[in-house]
Amino acid sequence: MQPSRLATPVATIEQLETSGSRLDGVPADLEDSMRFAGARLTQAAGILLRLPQEVVAQAIIVFTRFFAGPEGGSFAEYDAKQISASSLYMIAKISAAPKSPRSIINVYAYLDSFPHTFLDIEEVEKKKDAEEYFVSEGMFQEHKARLFAVEPVILKVLGFQLQVSLPYTLCITYMQALDVFSQPRASELARRAVARLNDMLLSPQLLCLTHQPPCLATAAIYLAAKEVGVQLPDVEWWEVFDTDREELGFLVVGMLSVTSFAIEEKEKWGKRSVPMTVEELDLELSSRRASTGED
Amino acid sequence: MAGATRWGGTEDLEAQRKKEKEEKKRLKQLKQQQAEAEAAAARERKEEEESEAASRPAKKRKLSTSPSADANGSSMTEKRKLLRFQAGGWGPCRNISNFETLNQIEEGSYGWVSRAKESATGDVVALKKMKMEYAQDGFPVTALREIQLLQASKHQHIINLREVVMGDRLDDVYLVMDFIEHDLKSLCDTMSEPFLASEVKTLILQLTSALSFLHSHWILHRDLKTSNILLNNRGILKIADFGMARLTSDPPPTNLTQLVVTLWYRAPELLLGATTYDSAIDMWSLGCIFGELLSKEPLLQGKNEVDQLTKTFSLCGLPSDTSWPAFRRLPNARALKLPRDPGNAAHGIIRTKFPFLTTSGCSLLSSLLSLNPDARPSAEDVLNHAYFKEGPKPKPTALFPTFPSKAGGEKRRRASPHAPVRGEVAKGLGDKEIDFSGIFAKRDEEERGAGFTLRMG
Repeated sequence: MQPSRLATPVATIEQLETSGSRLDGVPADLEDSMRFAGARLTQAAGILLRLPQEVVAQAIIVFTRFFAGPEGGSFAEYDAKQISASSLYMIAKISAAPKSPRSIINVYAYLDSFPHTFLDIEEVEKKKDAEEYFVSEGMFQEHKARLFAVEPVILKVLGFQLQVSLPYTLCITYMQALDVFSQPRASELARRAVARLNDMLLSPQLLCLTHQPPCLATAAIYLAAKEVGVQLPDVEWWEVFDTDREELGFLVVGMLSVTSFAIEEKEKWGKRSVPMTVEELDLELSSRRASTGED
Repeated sequence: MAGATRWGGTEDLEAQRKKEKEEKKRLKQLKQQQAEAEAAAARERKEEEESEAASRPAKKRKLSTSPSADANGSSMTEKRKLLRFQAGGWGPCRNISNFETLNQIEEGSYGWVSRAKESATGDVVALKKMKMEYAQDGFPVTALREIQLLQASKHQHIINLREVVMGDRLDDVYLVMDFIEHDLKSLCDTMSEPFLASEVKTLILQLTSALSFLHSHWILHRDLKTSNILLNNRGILKIADFGMARLTSDPPPTNLTQLVVTLWYRAPELLLGATTYDSAIDMWSLGCIFGELLSKEPLLQGKNEVDQLTKTFSLCGLPSDTSWPAFRRLPNARALKLPRDPGNAAHGIIRTKFPFLTTSGCSLLSSLLSLNPDARPSAEDVLNHAYFKEGPKPKPTALFPTFPSKAGGEKRRRASPHAPVRGEVAKGLGDKEIDFSGIFAKRDEEERGAGFTLRMG
């Protein structure tokens, strides 16, 4: 039977219960932080590479799938940064907007040159000395070898399941079906809804691994309409898009919580960097052990 | 010495005790982690259960409505039926050691195919080892595309990809597919008589339904030929080898490679160097296959690109500005020298070449072999063509003859040329002018009328 093109593969209950990282002794909160930072890194690289958001979203989902489940990859075994780069490179390669290894490596080197994970806008806009992120030919060859070496690892862990269906186009179709574009604040609504879908990619609840695109699109529109103040039909319109009230409610709460999660993360890490490699993770774990030992 | 031994002994003992302790600690930790993980996942699981419950509306309806229905006897709370989409999940690749190789089948354009048995289930499958030529861009994009497109193409007449397995090294990648006994190429080679008209109809209909599916999903196969079309002993045809396939769009992408489709099945626009093309290139290949099934011989067996074009034009006629307005703009068209007034040569000799074919069959074949890609019918058009409605009716698959399977037994020989290799430089037609004015010189002397045959199947 041909699976619907609207449907996306979802994680099993076993894959949500635990993960390779937690089996390797990475605390759950640190795992959430690393997954969040990794997804943001992919998103930032995608923007700098001027990749379509569809490609970026797909790469983030591949990254998230890789680190999910007991048979998935572990942050204690693979550099989160490397999985992010290789996922983005591989997904761009099979898309209509491929990027060269050189571009990918340059962009990741540039992002790596920032002093910590959660940057203020001034820090991002400050012009940097090109020396800080220059990739020499020797380093390039080394990075490229690693970029390529990780590709088959990702494919092996995912069993070559790279198929991702995204909610973006559905979201627009649904808004058209709801006839919102005749309303004055429609473009703001559309912008908010798409922003909510982008949030969903960063959710610590792994919304993008547990819900189908029609439900995600519906919840994003519902939430955006509340935020922008656009009147939607006074009936249970979400059922038209195959979402029931319970699921809608769950997703709305889930999407809303991404914001507070992001603020908490920023406060928690302050001027420190979230570990993005196995080495940095080991340092973080030993410093945590040291501080609990002192108490 | 004794002290040293005792010393050594206690160290061992201590080390062992320490190890045991650590092991216990680790287990305890693991348990704790799992408990933590479970707690953390509880919320997600609850949600999962909800969505699962929702995916079984019958049960849910019973649960939620029976009390209220009992209470006030109304069916107001009857749940509306919501669609539930399923697309499976993912898990790590299994290892190739789950399969035992039985025999080699053949080497295709993108890998080696062998027949194998899955040890656990005893299922006989076809294993295709992907060619991993790590070039400038890491994991071969062609292999990724082939896998993605096969995963997306679940259809009765398209080979079923069961899973992808890996060997001990990460660049040993195998596709596990259903094993199909025959391919049309070796069948045509071994049969003493060509397929009957009714059989050809069934085969072409099955092939076209798969093509219609692919094209409606924006997939171009780009390497249709009889050796890539498989037939099982129950008369069911399957398209295989997606090594050249890719997604397309409307309008079609520019700068596509022209190095696609095995030479004998390659459409004239590709031979003339087009880099923007659409599903019509598959329809041309379909025409070639149609002709091949009727006559048991590949239709256009060119020795090289120039010869292929010569043979194409002598069968289908010379292109003209009226029949194919765009052809002069194609890169290699400049090298062609065509007679100003092609006269008879403008019409091909398809009618003469297939004297047994009915008028509608002939019109279908000629339309598929239109030089102008825009004039070729779509797969959907072919399915509705009058040829399939007139007698003899397409033969039911259950009545298909069975043949001894070459793939199940010995190694197969391969007579048709290989698909072009990716990255090769397109040969083009050379700088030399190619004179096509002479190829129809003696046409008027040829026998023209349609012969007749008693064998109409």
